[in-house]
Amino acid sequence: MAKTLRFRFSRGEGLKYIAHLDMLRLFERAIKRAQLPVAYTQGFNPRQKIVFGLPMSIGLTSDSEYADIELAEDMDPDAFVETMNKYLPDGIRVDKAVEHTAKDNIMNQITAARYEIIFETNRPMSHFEIDSHVHDFLGKEEIVVSKKTKKGMRPVNIRPLIYSLSAYKKDISVFVLEAFLSAGKENNLRADLLLEAFCHEFGIEARVISIHRKALYASTYNEWKNPFEVSHD
Amino acid sequence: MIAMRLKIDESILLNVEKPAKYTGNEWNMVKKDPDDVKVRFAFCFPDDYEIGMSHLGMKILYHIMNKREDTYCERAFAPWTDMEEKLRERNIPLYTLETYTPLSEFDFVGFTLQYEMSYTNILNMLDLGGIPIFANDRKKGMPFVIAGGPCAVNPEPLADFIDLFVIGEGEEVINEIIDEYIAWKDAGEERDGFLKRASRIEGVYVPSLYNVYYYEDGTIMDILPVSPDVPDTVRRRIVKNLDSVDFPDDIIVPYIGTVHDRIMLEVFRGCIRGCRFCQAGFIYRPVRERSHEKLSELAKSSVEKTGYEEISLVSLSTSDYSALPELCDNLIEFTEAEKVSLSLPSLRVDNFSLGLMEKVSKVRKSGLTFAPEAGTQRLRDVINKGITTEDLIASVKLAVAGGWTQVKLYFMIGLPTETIEDVEGIANLGITLIESCRELPGEYNKSLNITLSTSCFVPKPFTPFQWEPMDDIESLMNKQYHLKDRIKKRTRKIKYNYHDARLSFLEAVLARGDRKIGKVIYTAWQKGCKFDGWDEFFSFEKWMEAFSECGLDPKFYANRRRDYTEVLPWDHIDMGISKEFLKKESEKAYEGDLTKNCAVGCSLCGAQGYKTGICIKSKRG
Ligand code: SF4
Repeated sequence: MAKTLRFRFSRGEGLKYIAHLDMLRLFERAIKRAQLPVAYTQGFNPRQKIVFGLPMSIGLTSDSEYADIELAEDMDPDAFVETMNKYLPDGIRVDKAVEHTAKDNIMNQITAARYEIIFETNRPMSHFEIDSHVHDFLGKEEIVVSKKTKKGMRPVNIRPLIYSLSAYKKDISVFVLEAFLSAGKENNLRADLLLEAFCHEFGIEARVISIHRKALYASTYNEWKNPFEVSHD
Repeated sequence: MIAMRLKIDESILLNVEKPAKYTGNEWNMVKKDPDDVKVRFAFCFPDDYEIGMSHLGMKILYHIMNKREDTYCERAFAPWTDMEEKLRERNIPLYTLETYTPLSEFDFVGFTLQYEMSYTNILNMLDLGGIPIFANDRKKGMPFVIAGGPCAVNPEPLADFIDLFVIGEGEEVINEIIDEYIAWKDAGEERDGFLKRASRIEGVYVPSLYNVYYYEDGTIMDILPVSPDVPDTVRRRIVKNLDSVDFPDDIIVPYIGTVHDRIMLEVFRGCIRGCRFCQAGFIYRPVRERSHEKLSELAKSSVEKTGYEEISLVSLSTSDYSALPELCDNLIEFTEAEKVSLSLPSLRVDNFSLGLMEKVSKVRKSGLTFAPEAGTQRLRDVINKGITTEDLIASVKLAVAGGWTQVKLYFMIGLPTETIEDVEGIANLGITLIESCRELPGEYNKSLNITLSTSCFVPKPFTPFQWEPMDDIESLMNKQYHLKDRIKKRTRKIKYNYHDARLSFLEAVLARGDRKIGKVIYTAWQKGCKFDGWDEFFSFEKWMEAFSECGLDPKFYANRRRDYTEVLPWDHIDMGISKEFLKKESEKAYEGDLTKNCAVGCSLCGAQGYKTGICIKSKRG
């Protein structure tokens, strides 16, 4: 039994076309339908106390998204999972919930994300060609792109935000990028921005087929951790 | 037949704005196997998803049709231009969100006519859906195109495109149409056999079964059925008892924000007030209320089934609901407990409603709106708007003292008998309100900000002003500039907004047009007109070209005074409101004579023939 829970959910093809704020509303309404004993903020416009790990942009599918929810009464995490799934639309599934007691919430804890980006180029490329592009890309000291920040559009060097990158060929002009990127409140690098920078660098014209988030991580003492591992201090 | 499901992939959806408008699968979307039903109905809203999904009528009919096991009602909306481009580029027909089925595969394709400026979108959706635009080009096996809603009261401009219209409220008649369709299909008759059968259902109008004859001057000589077994007039259908028809509590919850993204509880239908310019005030008579018990029940079950965080009470004038205190007491208790917010639009401002708003909207005390509609008492009497300047001053003072410092006032310019004093009266009224608030104590006396908003009066069928000429564009624009100037010279506390007079002019043509206007709509659509109600798309020039290519003068429809004896294009539609009554109201308007509202006493408008609602309670004489 627990009053604050951390849960993990996936988002599939069917629901990938909705934006982050719409996702939040979707959860709020599902929680209301489920009549879960969620806690609300005080004040004129009470909101449910729920925090999501990392925003999901339009087009993104994911195996592992996380959120923290505060309840007004204790609840068994497994019962929470079962009830939520009854009231969530197909395409979003909660697969696990644990008690959360850590001081930091999920949003403050997330520091990295792993992506699989599939894209199609306007001309065929050899395996060697794409591989050497990745090699050159990672070899650069600076990759400056214009990025939306709190202060508006700013040039930002994204090279330090790329922890690893590899590519393989799927079809004559279809490629997969496996990327491990800095994520979270500070220094978030979106997968679509990475792809854009990559293509721009090498004059490739590409069309996104899918962007999939495979995992989110928190870091403690120089170690990548599954967010469930840091739900207790 | 194996149902076909289109595939709309990410190469389309990742390249359009708000792709979730085109993917469906929302919470409470009805899922059925198309092979298990006898009738497939595509309910089309001829505007963007965000507008269409805010529309209560669609929710009601979706629910009612899908309650039938033999019918599957699905939805389609006008795709935004980016999506239309993609669909056309790849030859993908417009499809329904439930099963991704092209519109052409349906038994019925139904359109709701909420405003005239959506007419070109109807043609565009038919075209995108792979359905011939003209009704007489549709062959055996093709869908029947059906339309209803407020603009169907004058169906004539769309007569070339629509196979059958529903006049009035659809809840009951739609079931009769579906039953008749199944019987027709089982009998294996030709296409026009169904139209004949349908024309015998009360409230159904099949335009192809009527001929219109014109005089040389363009006015109508007669409108006659093509054969004696077709009724001369089509009488509007209404639901007698609202509590007895289904009202949806399991409404679809969109993923993206829509214009009215909340539970809408329809408190009553109709309006007792009888403002003479207002079509809604006549075409939904008589007032019929839902019981407050039923409404409270609906509020609860709707929240349970949707998870919505807001409920709004809808009606033409919620203050006139006879059980408002009981309903509000119930709802306030429930919504507070459930953390649901309650909104009460269209309340008249008085002590009761302010107290109420204080209780429900603990949020921002920003805007309050009033609709005096005209700037002087004389003109308000002409339009039967029973508001006095004193009432307004009192209400606004109450509001300001209660902390509402933004007040919006709605007016019309171009009303019958209007003079320049009436126009200036709008500015003067705003100034009077600002000045009278100076008398208020301390902090409040300078806090009031006013927005004056004027629309252009458009004469509508089935109102006492249906014979009136619309003011011409130039004169309307001059009045707008004059008013703007007056206000700017006097104060900075008043903001002034006004509508595009050219858009209203076109609305006036379509609202009172005859069958000949169909050609113009078609030509305008071919020139690329669509989403005409959206400023960024509206092209007055293209429309004017269309009129001249069709050899028709739009002013004949908009700016001409009709004689009381003239046959009007909608004379074969019987709205249950007598022409005599409308004529009398029009004469009274010129005298500045007020007509009492139905709650005070009955004026025998004709709606008593429906033998229900307020007419039963109202005092005659
Ligand atoms: S018949 Fe009388 S009470 Fe009924 S709607 Fe008309 S005016 Fe009102």
